[in-house]
Amino acid sequence: MDFFKKKDILIIIIILIVGIGFWYTYNNTPNDETVKAELYYYNELVMTIDLSQGIEKTFSIAQKPKVVFHLSEDGKICFIESDCPDKVCINTGEIYIAGQSAACLPNGLVLKIVSDDEDEKFDTIIGN
Amino acid sequence: MAEKEKIFNNGFNGILGNTHSMVLTALLLAAALVLSIIENMLPPLPIAVPGVKFGLSNIAVMYALFFLGYRKAYIIAVLKGLFAAVTRGVIAGVLSLFGGIISVTVMVLLLFIFRERISYLIVSVFGAISHNIGQFIVIILIFEGMNMWAYFPILLISGLIAGIITSTLLKLILPAFKRLI
Repeated sequence: MDFFKKKDILIIIIILIVGIGFWYTYNNTPNDETVKAELYYYNELVMTIDLSQGIEKTFSIAQKPKVVFHLSEDGKICFIESDCPDKVCINTGEIYIAGQSAACLPNGLVLKIVSDDEDEKFDTIIGN
Repeated sequence: MAEKEKIFNNGFNGILGNTHSMVLTALLLAAALVLSIIENMLPPLPIAVPGVKFGLSNIAVMYALFFLGYRKAYIIAVLKGLFAAVTRGVIAGVLSLFGGIISVTVMVLLLFIFRERISYLIVSVFGAISHNIGQFIVIILIFEGMNMWAYFPILLISGLIAGIITSTLLKLILPAFKRLI
């Protein structure tokens, strides 16, 4: 049994194409449902942000003034500033599709996009 | 059973006694646990997706699968999952257990179907991808209603990269392993 064969490159390319194709179709599926962002502080909903207002704003919450969020005009929201060590929350970037989420676990903050229609449809299990 | 064993034991069959192979399995399990601890100590990747990691402990599982037989690989995967359950909680344990079992099963099937026609690299890549997919299935089942499909292509491609990395590392480590036996 060889370590590597030439036709392996073909298999690798097929996997890459499937992955990229999946990504492309997912991001280009028309998305006309209205979404909103929910901000949780230690499993407690502290703020709901309507993403379709078309206004740009920068804000933070009283519990964690050092963590700053940014909402852009086209309804995308992200963490832009945080005092946590790893900055995973900021590296997540802008989120805007229902189901996406960004979290800053050191600060106990979870920001997630939910669909307006699916409200209360699922119980969400939030593990610690 | 002996016939099947022969297919998966490429080389050391017959040389190893029972005790020898048991000790080697225990060493590999220890190596797998240490590798996963070391991996957790590495700085997080600048990728914002939970679940993306190299899966270094897969090196030990793959070694067991290629040279000690599939049963040893299953033993290591299951014990690794139980260890994760004890140290990191039930959910982490279920994820590790399910991912490990799916991964070993896929690698065993590939080795069984393609025998000599497949390369270590591809077996490793499919092992890593199926590990990710196994965990993905568990996450969908546990966190019902979570929209996880956005992560699917990322898991696919990160599995590809992780598989290439682990099989290359295994190839580099192999001479040292051979001196053990």
